[in-house]
Amino acid sequence: MLIFDQLKKNDPQLRAITWGVLIGLGLLLAGLWWVQVISYRHYSENQRAQSFRTVRIPAIRGKILDHNGAPLAENQPCYNVSLYLEELRDGFKEEWKRVRPKGKLPRGERISLEAGARYRVVSNVVQNLAADLQQPLDLDYGQFLEHYTNQLALPMPVITNLTPVQMARFHERSSGAPGLDLELQPNRFYPHGTCAAHLLGFLTHDNSSAQDEEAFFNFRLPDYRGKVGIEGVFDLELRGKAGMKSVLVNSLGYRQSENIWTPSEPGKNVVLTIDLAIQQAAESALRTHGPDTRGAVVVLNPHNGDILALASAPTFDPNVYIPRLTHDAAQRLNDPVLRPQINRATQENYAPGSIFKIVDSLACLEAGLDPAEKIQNPGHILVGRKLVKDLALPGEYDFRRAFLKSSNTYFITNGLRYGVENIVRIGERLHLGERCDLPTRQEVSGSFPRQRTLRQGWSSGDTANLCIGQGRLDVTPLQMAVMTAAIANGGKVLWPRLVERIEAQEPLGQDTTIVFPHRPVRDELGVRPRTLELIRTAMLADVEDAEGTGKAAAVPGLRVCGKTGTAQVANERNQVIDHTTWFASFAPYENPRYVVVVMVEGGASGGGACAPIAQKIYRALLERENYNGAKPAPMARTE
Amino acid sequence: MAQNRRRWRALNNMFGSALKERRSNVDWLMLTALGGLMCIGVAFIYSATMANESASLTVWYNQPWFRQIIWYGLGLAAAASLCLVDYHILARWSLVAYGLAILLLLAVFAVGSMRFGARRWIDLGFFLLQPSEFAKLAFIFAMAHYLSRPVDELRLTGVFWKALGLTILPFALIMREPDLGSALILLPVGLTMLFVAGAPVRYLTRLVGGAGILVVFILVDVLYAPPKYQIKLEDYQKRRLLVYFGREALPAAASGAERAEARKQQRNYSYNVEQALISVGSGGLLGKGWRQGTQNALGYLPRAVAHNDFIFSVIAEEKGFLGSVTVIALYSVVLFTGIRIAGQTRDRLGKLLAVGIVAMLFSHVFINIGMNIRLMPVTGVPLPLLSYGGSSVLCSLIAAGILQNVDIYRRSY
Repeated sequence: MLIFDQLKKNDPQLRAITWGVLIGLGLLLAGLWWVQVISYRHYSENQRAQSFRTVRIPAIRGKILDHNGAPLAENQPCYNVSLYLEELRDGFKEEWKRVRPKGKLPRGERISLEAGARYRVVSNVVQNLAADLQQPLDLDYGQFLEHYTNQLALPMPVITNLTPVQMARFHERSSGAPGLDLELQPNRFYPHGTCAAHLLGFLTHDNSSAQDEEAFFNFRLPDYRGKVGIEGVFDLELRGKAGMKSVLVNSLGYRQSENIWTPSEPGKNVVLTIDLAIQQAAESALRTHGPDTRGAVVVLNPHNGDILALASAPTFDPNVYIPRLTHDAAQRLNDPVLRPQINRATQENYAPGSIFKIVDSLACLEAGLDPAEKIQNPGHILVGRKLVKDLALPGEYDFRRAFLKSSNTYFITNGLRYGVENIVRIGERLHLGERCDLPTRQEVSGSFPRQRTLRQGWSSGDTANLCIGQGRLDVTPLQMAVMTAAIANGGKVLWPRLVERIEAQEPLGQDTTIVFPHRPVRDELGVRPRTLELIRTAMLADVEDAEGTGKAAAVPGLRVCGKTGTAQVANERNQVIDHTTWFASFAPYENPRYVVVVMVEGGASGGGACAPIAQKIYRALLERENYNGAKPAPMARTE
Repeated sequence: MAQNRRRWRALNNMFGSALKERRSNVDWLMLTALGGLMCIGVAFIYSATMANESASLTVWYNQPWFRQIIWYGLGLAAAASLCLVDYHILARWSLVAYGLAILLLLAVFAVGSMRFGARRWIDLGFFLLQPSEFAKLAFIFAMAHYLSRPVDELRLTGVFWKALGLTILPFALIMREPDLGSALILLPVGLTMLFVAGAPVRYLTRLVGGAGILVVFILVDVLYAPPKYQIKLEDYQKRRLLVYFGREALPAAASGAERAEARKQQRNYSYNVEQALISVGSGGLLGKGWRQGTQNALGYLPRAVAHNDFIFSVIAEEKGFLGSVTVIALYSVVLFTGIRIAGQTRDRLGKLLAVGIVAMLFSHVFINIGMNIRLMPVTGVPLPLLSYGGSSVLCSLIAAGILQNVDIYRRSY
């Protein structure tokens, strides 16, 4: 063979040279084997890392719908004009050629001159666009430089949120301009503004990856994350799965081409039990009380626990968080008195006041209280050394009269007579002091004495206070709604339900709907039907009787049953500084369909502040029923 | 029948050998290998340059791949015409050629044009002549001619030193351009020729040993000595050395900003090597396909060097390890054919010429491919026939022509 012929010859020098060449070529082959075959993965990863930029594309967020499919939170297309810098490279070169000074330049100076040339080109394009859109646009040099150095692979946003007129102008005049392109970006939009804002929650800017997502991206397109409420708790379902695209860039970082590696999966829709019309009625009813009303309304279906409306005032507009919360809006949201971010229906502890007499009634009637037995009310009652005033006029009271006049004397006397243990037992069956597991992350549990607490320094004064819904207990309006529902539905203590189901945005895709069924009954009151009937009649009387404290809630055509309450809010030195007023009710008497609980902070009395609000809500409910009855609602869904 | 056949074979043998006697002598294997290399050269110069918009917009006959074809044509013509004249006759002119080459090298200092911080070219209007390339050939001729004297004379130190001087003169001149790579090629070529000519091995070992010590000393000095005691190298040479040995050219007491600046500079200088390695490595076993390489198309491999000094990266990226092996196989055919010719040549002149050319081609191949995989520091050494460039192509083909000439006119066994 060619090579070894030489090796065999008696020519040591040539043989040495042959070996030298052989070894040299062998070395090269070994080196190439090492680089190209053994280290292939390493180098191809390097190559990919330097020439690909990964971009996170957020998925389209799912909607939040009401029971009838009306959107409470949806996405609104937002049109932006972006500038693709790589298409201006010829312009950059020309401008640089034009301004380039003669002779050699120091490196730093040349770089800044080049950057200046690029800025002028881009600025010209932007100014032309401004003229076309008839809107002054300003391109900040620093901002441009920032984008150029850090995000060259992405288009540079020039103007966001075009108006329809500007869109038309853009299409007419600028659409052919090099580098400019119209881009669509879905933005979160709450079509009803403040409506159900607390329930829905809000979004904040957050581009980071969710837990089971690709963690590393070179660039991330703007994305949001739900903070509280439904947006927060169901964020994972709503946000969908972000996709990834890769942008091939050249050595200068300009975009060369791009392709989508994984498309984003749109988020799912969350369907609530809320009925938009009822929710709106509840909120507007609350607003009639005054401009800065602090209060809450819960409307519940007493048979299955579906929350039809859950309003809290004052409210806020979750749209202010998109695209960014402004300073003024933030200040209003953090107002120390109004505290608009608090969902007062579930997130704040309140003394129930006289509406707690419903629990007293349950306990005492079950323990043997004769409703016909009359008690003399002197206008006050002395418990220990403390005098409790009775707002009910002095006189003789049986159960019905005591209930509708809300006589403190009657209920304290009977509460002490039949024992606090019975009251606490009923409270436990109502699960007072426990959360309702509402999926909004906005719930407090309230507080309620346990049987154990009664054995440790519990005084008759405490019992007296408990009987009138003051002192060592706290409740939320939602808990009171559950309590009222139990009276209305014959003793079932329900789990309130807010979310009906989670369904795919595209109905054609495979069915991945998650239904949240009604949970089994949480507890039974375990009282006789007669007791419940007595209380229901008493509640009816509270609204319909001429003497009743809740007269203002009466609605013609709907027999409303209710109980008013006014609790004193005391400071640390036991001075009364405010009142919490209540109206807990259901309707109609014969066949209860709605539970409405109204709570207003700082109202004059339950009957004066809350009953009229409830009345407006019932009126709206009635109107809606009549309307739907005349013409079946097309949006209604069967379950 | 059988008899007939035997007679035919004898006849055939007779004419065949006679025929062989007359045209024995064009080595088709080597020619095929050269042709293969040239085809690869055109294909990948096309691939390396056409990704660039400005190159693809020029008229086709001005595009690099076509110009390269013209150079191949010119080179082949030059090689063929060299083969018309017996190398013994050519060798008589070797000192004249050597003198001319030295003059040209000197002329570079006077009228040479600056490119990339070095003065290596003479602008002839249509062509940038790189005299160092031709100096290599002239040097080989002169050395072969000088060393082809009887072996015994080589034992004389005077002759040895003269031969050394013959090497050092062009070496120093090319070094001054500065063109470290081309200059360094002369050393292994000269040494190999001395060795094959039969110069006493102890002289050579002393020489190599001494040079080695000197190189180590210079390296240690450049890399580790305090600046005051450092030998003055060209800035870029020093940086390249530092890059190769992975060190920062920085005093220990430098401030943070200086350090960052130096690191950035070093990144810039090591950038080519880094990118060449990524190109070669990301090619993998089979490569990404012709014109599918991204390193070059996206400009990571600088466009100024992709089609000349770093053409191998382009080939390796697009054709993978298989492509690299093919290239090396083609070179080895040329190299071993050269060694065969040297071995079969009876006269010392022919043998030395062949060995010198083999040494020169091998050094180019080894240094160039070696620098693509960081086996060698970056020096501007072209890859024979594959790199774009008139001077290099002409010289490589002329060198191949000389090998062929030796093969034709050698006094055979």
